[in-house]
Order: sequence, then structure tokens, then C-alpha cells
Amino acid sequence: MGEKKPEVLQGTLDLMVLKTLHALGPLHGFGIARRIEQLSENLLELNEGTVYTSLLRLQQQGWIKSSWGASENNRKARFYSITRQGLKQLERETENWERFAGIVGRVLRLERQG
Amino acid sequence: MRKTLILFSRIRAWFTEGRANREFDDELEEHIRLLTERFMSRGMAAMDAADAARRQFGNSALVQQRQREARTFLSPAELWRDACFGARMLRKHPGSTAAVVVALALGIGTNACVFTFVNALLLRPPVGVKSPGELREIWQRNRSASGMSRYTPLTYPDYAYFRDRTKSFTGVIAYDGDPEPVLWSRSGRGEVVHGQFVSGNLFSVIGVGTALGRPFYPDDDQPSSPRPLVILSNTFWRQRLNADPNVVGKPITLNGTSFIVLGVAPPRFTGLEVAMAPDFWAPLSMSEQMLHDPGRLTSRFSHFLSVEGRLAPGQTTRSAQAETRVLASDLEKSYPESNKGEDDQIYSAAPVPGPYREYVAAFTGLLMAVFALVLVIACVNAAGLLMVKATGRAREMAIRSALGAARGRLIRQMTVESLLLSLLAGLVSVAFAWWTSRLLLNLVPANLPISLEIPIDWRVLAFTFVVALITGVTFGTTPALRGTRVDPVHVLKNENHADGFNKSRMRAVLMTGEVAVCTVVLFGAALCVRSLLNANSIDPGFDIDHVAIADLDPGSLGYSEKKADAFYRAFSARVQSLPGVVSASYVNHLPLDASREEGGIEKASESKSEDDFLHVDVFRVAPDYFNTMGIPILKGREFSQSDADRRTSAVVVNDTLARKLFPGEDPLGQLIKMPDGKALFQVIGVVKTGKYRTLGEEPVAVMYRNEIPSSRVIVVRTLGDPRPLLESLPRAAQQVDPNMAVTGAQTMRQFMSFPLFSARVTGLLLGAAGVLALILTWIGLFGVVSFAVSQRTREIGVRMALGARRSDVLRLVMRQGLLVTGIGLVVGIGCALAASRLLSSLLYGIRPDDPETIAAVVVGLTAATMLACYIPARRAARVEPTTALRYE
Repeated sequence: MGEKKPEVLQGTLDLMVLKTLHALGPLHGFGIARRIEQLSENLLELNEGTVYTSLLRLQQQGWIKSSWGASENNRKARFYSITRQGLKQLERETENWERFAGIVGRVLRLERQG
Repeated sequence: MRKTLILFSRIRAWFTEGRANREFDDELEEHIRLLTERFMSRGMAAMDAADAARRQFGNSALVQQRQREARTFLSPAELWRDACFGARMLRKHPGSTAAVVVALALGIGTNACVFTFVNALLLRPPVGVKSPGELREIWQRNRSASGMSRYTPLTYPDYAYFRDRTKSFTGVIAYDGDPEPVLWSRSGRGEVVHGQFVSGNLFSVIGVGTALGRPFYPDDDQPSSPRPLVILSNTFWRQRLNADPNVVGKPITLNGTSFIVLGVAPPRFTGLEVAMAPDFWAPLSMSEQMLHDPGRLTSRFSHFLSVEGRLAPGQTTRSAQAETRVLASDLEKSYPESNKGEDDQIYSAAPVPGPYREYVAAFTGLLMAVFALVLVIACVNAAGLLMVKATGRAREMAIRSALGAARGRLIRQMTVESLLLSLLAGLVSVAFAWWTSRLLLNLVPANLPISLEIPIDWRVLAFTFVVALITGVTFGTTPALRGTRVDPVHVLKNENHADGFNKSRMRAVLMTGEVAVCTVVLFGAALCVRSLLNANSIDPGFDIDHVAIADLDPGSLGYSEKKADAFYRAFSARVQSLPGVVSASYVNHLPLDASREEGGIEKASESKSEDDFLHVDVFRVAPDYFNTMGIPILKGREFSQSDADRRTSAVVVNDTLARKLFPGEDPLGQLIKMPDGKALFQVIGVVKTGKYRTLGEEPVAVMYRNEIPSSRVIVVRTLGDPRPLLESLPRAAQQVDPNMAVTGAQTMRQFMSFPLFSARVTGLLLGAAGVLALILTWIGLFGVVSFAVSQRTREIGVRMALGARRSDVLRLVMRQGLLVTGIGLVVGIGCALAASRLLSSLLYGIRPDDPETIAAVVVGLTAATMLACYIPARRAARVEPTTALRYE
């Protein structure tokens, strides 16, 4: 198996799920897991069950909603989609993340002095 | 028991929770299957693929567990856990729990009490009747009249017409509205009992049987061949006949006619409406003979029948109404003389007759509105107290939320606690309503002997429950929303959670509202109490302290006018010889009683059209009436025995009539003409104007005549206390004539409770509401100011350390409280003035915008609230700066 893949950073899965739903529209859990896997180019260690806990959390906050539909291969599946509140939250979280990532980036770019 | 409970909850869980759980499990399984397929498509063996899929998915059991915990907001098991926890929390603070419960119970209980009456009078169908929901009342309605006078009972011919032609009803019954007093001759002595005349189909249509014997059948009630049969009421049978098991078939003499007892009614049946419970029922066809009123069953003008019908299957009130209107218009065409402009109106059956319900509803609605305001005050208090508690519980909430409780979960916990409080209060208020409604029933004057049952039935319980729920949600929501908005980091770091501006502003708004509502209630209460005092001190124009009265009706024994006169003469002679009696006289009906006689008159020298006649109230009195009643004679003299004997057409008038008919002239000796134009009356005396219809009336013109019918009221003037006469009057009557019985023997003071009834009820109830509102507001204000002071102890300490004097601190605290009160008062007075107009018809001698009352309420409320602020403010001013600063 070689080198260990990085795990999902605490608290970022919700953001990723939210963004995925925002970018791709209604998806079922399996689809979300595939997308994240694809985008991370198989470099991320994703415990796919946690996608569902994340979906539960987001649903409880009212940021996503779900409805039953048929999947591509015509099986019954629950589709999740982002709500208006979710959009706002996504905006806020994205901003937070970018600021945070920027800070970490700047810190890491520090040159060794003197 | 426990096992069945568990089984039950499992079954329910299977239905409600089970489905959601199974769906979620399916979703996870589907995901794993898809993963497995995907691995297999890449060339893995089935077993390996499944393993890899499970690995990639992670711990599915944990996910499922999470899902179960987080899902429903209202899962019964969780709610039950919350309720248990809530109950524990409430038990832990018995003081504040009791305070909230008592405040709410007073608020809910007073409403429940009024509703008990609304239910008993308007909602509850008659008792002991089969499917009362199908019964409808039919009232005649005059299209051109307005108000109450539009509605009249039916005449017998009209009733018979409806009964025989309707297809909307399976049966139409009729009964003589008020039970008639009847003399029951029992071993040679007369006793007054009350009988109701009913149509022969009444018992079969309403589905009431008998405890003994048989009920009436239609054949028993044929106007062509009346049968003297009676059905006794269960109470009468038990109390007066010692529950004689062989009573059926025995004779009983009523108003001189011998009747045969046909049966005994079941215990629960006392008639169809709120009225005196009848002692017996007799066929309508017997009423002409018994009441010595021939023609009452054939006259198209004598309206006395309450009519009800049972809807046929598939019929509605509307369809029945349509049909009866057609029948009514047939009658109108056939009998234009009597039925012109008459149609009818159908009501559902309830204890209060349909047309009167509007008035009862308006009155009880007003009371409910007032008590709803008291409830609002109680709610604000409870909310205030809970908010204080919530602030104290901020740490608890912070810990729970830090441990992962969602805010929704905390809100639910708080809401469940408020609901527990309000439901507890609801329980207490049911007991309160039971007790107070029975107290209130005692206010009903003795001469209004109505049979009113006021049970706490399912309607009252449902009403109380719903009010309690609404109350719980109302007062619980704000504290729940605010109490759970905690920032765990700050609270747990023990940073000073000094009251945010928002929180105290919210409290100030609540308090302002409370003071405003209190002002409204207090103003209404003050008006009604003053009106009651006014009414009590209104001079009715006659002596109420030294007069005893009693009703007599020798006509019911079938006595001729001559025989009745002889009896009256002997009776008054007998009464005058009783100890302590000054004089005795008769009148056809008392002023301020329910009966009235009106007529038009004019001066004999004029001949106006009838519309321009002066309308006067007419009383018919015997000699010595004015002296006996203590009515001052201003001019001339009163009737003497010689007037009565000679039957000269002499009249006495009151000074209002004299002023209106003979302005600027001497009324004595003037001649008066009635509309029939023939007889002339000569004024022989003028008496002072009193009150005749209501205590609040404008002066009414009254004429006294000396021809007096045989149904009379005896008025007796005594030297001292008239109460001994209540025993001796009935005895005296039977000594004069053993068959005779008097009814309604009472003192004039007792009689006055009838005209004072409405003032007493409103005065008492609104007074109670006002006191309650004031106490609750006071406690609320006191609590909130005290709490604010305790929260600001530190700030006050700093201020004092920096040189603030005690008076400055006092002013600081007082200013806040008084600002709240001031705004509340201004808003409240505005609302009160708008609302008090609703009261104007109930008020005696006081305008609904009486400035004195406004001033009194403002001063009183300001004083009360100042005290409520002053006590905590003084405590604040006593704060030692060093202690305050060292605190924490």
C-alpha cells in the first residue's frame, strides 16, 4: 500500500460535502463520496461512513435537505441538495477557510532569519 | 401493566421510528453494495471486494447510532426523558415552581371558571336526552322588529301547523316555557308547586323514559279531549312523596282539578332549558282548564310555546330552516292579521333559549376578555421568573452545549419544563374553577330559582387543557430562546455574564406591557366596583328595610273575582293584626321586577293621534300602598278604601308624569284619557318618582290605578325587622283559607338582589380581576427589579466606591422602574379608555371615561409600583462597596 494517505482534517468534511452539493446539484451519499474521492485524486483517506454523519449534521442545521428519487441505475436513493441557508453558510465557511489557509500558508512561507 | 406499556411503546416506535431507521439502514447498505460492485468491476473477488468496501465505509454501526440519536425532534421516548428531567428540576426549586404555578393557576382558573358557565349555559346540550345534538329550537321572528323583541315563542296553532307539515324533523315538540306555579291541595292544605305543560310527543321525541309508570303519548294530549294526567319529577317524587313506589295511578289535586299520576321521570331529566325545574309535567291540552285561561290553545296571538324538533336523518339546520320559512310564509298568507312579517329562526338546542344566547355570550365574552388579560399578566410574570432562572442556569446550558447538545435540544428541554409548569397549573385551575363556579352560583338571587348544573365536563377540561398549553408555549418560548443562546466559552471561563443590553431591554418591554395590561384591567375593575357602589346606593324610591312581600294568586284556585276580593280583605286584616306590622297593601307587580304594564295617556282636553300619547308604566295598587312602601306623597292623597269600593276612576301619578303632562299646572284634579277614549281618570295625588324598570333608568312616567287583578303581591310594612313575617305570612294565608298558599315570601332587601344582580356580578368579578391583576403585577415588578438589582450589585459597588451617594443609587434603580411604569400607564390608560366603552351598558351612575376613576387608577398604580421598586432599591443603596467588589 505504500505511504499513508492524509486523513480528512477535522471539521472540513462538512464544508467539502456542502461545496460538492453546491457545485453539482442534488446527489446521493454514494455520489458525494465518489466526487470527493475523484477530486482528491485518490490521495485522501475518506471513511465513507462519515459522509453520512456529515449529511446528518448538515440536515439538522437546515443547510441541506433530502428527498427520495431514483439513482442512475434506477434504484431508490435519497438525494441531498443544498438549501438557501446552506448557501449562506457555505459562503461564510469558504471565507473562513480561505482566511485560515492563507494564514497557515503565510506562516509556512516564513524564511529562516539570521 | 408495565409490560403492556412497554409493548405499546415498542409497537408505536416500530411504526414511527422504525420506518425512518430502516430507510437509513437501507441507504447505508446500498452504499456498501455499490462500493462492492465497484471493487468487483476492477477485478476483485467477491469476498475481497466486500471486505474492501466495508473498510472504505468505516464503522457503519456508529453512523447508525448517530442517526438514531439525532433524528426526530419529538420522539416520545426522548420527550419522556425530558419530562422526567424537567420534573426533577422543578422539584429542586419548589419555591419558584409554586410561585409560577399559583400565578398561572389563578390566570387559567378564572378563565376556566367563566368558561364553566359558558359551557353550562350555551354549549352543553340538555341533560338526560337522547342524541341532543339532533335537537333544534324553533323561534318565531318578526322581520320588522329589532333586538330581542324580534323573537317570540310560538302560538299553539302555529306549532301544530309546523308539527303536522314538516319533513325536516322526525318530531316537533312544544312546552310552556316557564313552569307555572300551581296549587297542590294536600290533605286540605294548599302548597305551591311548579308544573310545565308539554306536548304529548315530548317524551318520545327527546327520548326520555320514566323511572316508574309510563311517559305521555300523543294520544294523552288531544285538545278535543284533555286528560288530567301528570308525570312527576324525580325530585318531587322523592322529596315530597317519600319515593312512594305505588304512586302510579294515584290521584293528585292541582289547582282544584284531580289528576292521575301516570309516571315518574328519571332522576337526570329536569326539562330542556335553564329555568325552574318543574315538579311535574302535564299535557298542554290541560293548560286552559288548569290556568283558567280559555282560548290559549286556539288563539293566534298568545305566544307562549317553546318549540323544538328532532332533525330527520340527512337534514341540516339549513335545510330545516328553508322548509320552516316556507311553512311560515304559508301561515303569513293565510293569517295576515296575526302572522304579518313573521318568519322563524332555528337554533341548536342548549340550556339558554336561542335568541337570548347572544346576550349571555356578550356578557360572558366580556368577562373572559378581562380574565384573559389577567392571564396575560400571569404569563408575563411566569416568563419573567423563568428568564431569571434561565440566567441562573446559563452555566448548566453552557456545559450541556459544550458536551454536544444541539440548541434545538436545549430549547426543547426548556419548553418541556414550561409545559410541565403550565399543565400543573392547569390541573390546579380545574380545582379552582370547580370551587369558584360554585361560589358564583350562590350569587344568583333566591327569587330567580333556576336549575343550572355547572359540571366540570370534558368541554371544560379540554378548554382548560388548551389554555394551559397555549399559556405554556407563550410564557415558555422567550425564556427558552434566550436562555439557550449561550456561548459556552465565555460562560465556562466564568467571564462576567453581565446582563446584556438586549436582555434587560426585553424585560423592560415585558414589564411595560404588564403594567399597561394591568392598567386596563384595573380601570375596568374600578369602574365596575364604583358602579356597584352606586347601584347599591341608588334610591329605588321606596323603603327596602321595613317591608316584607309575598305573591298570591287565588285565581289559580278558580276563585271568582268576588271570592278573591273577600279573601284579600280577610287576609290583610289578619296580616295587620300580626305583631310588628304597621300596614299592609297589594300591588299587581313590584317595581324593578320582571313584569311590566305599559299604556298611553293624554290630557282629557286634548285629542292627539295615538302615536303622540304619553307612554307611561302602569301599576295597580290597593289602598295604603304608598304609605306601606314608604313612597313619599308630594301632593294630594293616596287611594282610600272608599275609592276602592266606589271604583271612581281616580289615579295617582308620579311627579315625572305630572311634569310631562301638566307643565306649569296643578296636576291635582286634572283629567286623563286612555286611548280607548271613554273612561276619564282624575288625578288625586302625586308621588315622588322612583325606579321602575332598572336602577340605572332615566325618570319614568308612572300612573297608579286602583283596579287590581287577582294575582297580587302583598306588601307589608313593619316597625322593625321584617324577617319574622316570612314565616308568619304563609301561615296567616292558610289560616284565612286552607287551600291558599303564598309564594316568594321575602324581605324587600332580599328582593333587591334581583335588580342588583348584574351590577353585583360584574362588580364582584371585575373587582376580583382587578385585585388579581394588581397583585400579580406588583409581584412581577418587584421580582424583576430585585433581580436587576442583584445582577448589578457589583456595578453599584463600583459606583459607590467612586463616590456615588446612597440617594444616587436609590434614584438610579427607581428611575428604571418608574420609567417602565410610566410608559405602561400611558399606554394602558389609552387602551383602557378605548375598551371601557364596552362596559357602558353595565355601569350605573358613572361614565366609562370617568376622570376621577382614571386619576385614582393612575395614583394607585403609581404608588404600588413605586413601592415595588423602592424595596429592592433601598436594598441596593445599602450595598457595602467593599463587599460588593469582593464578591465572586
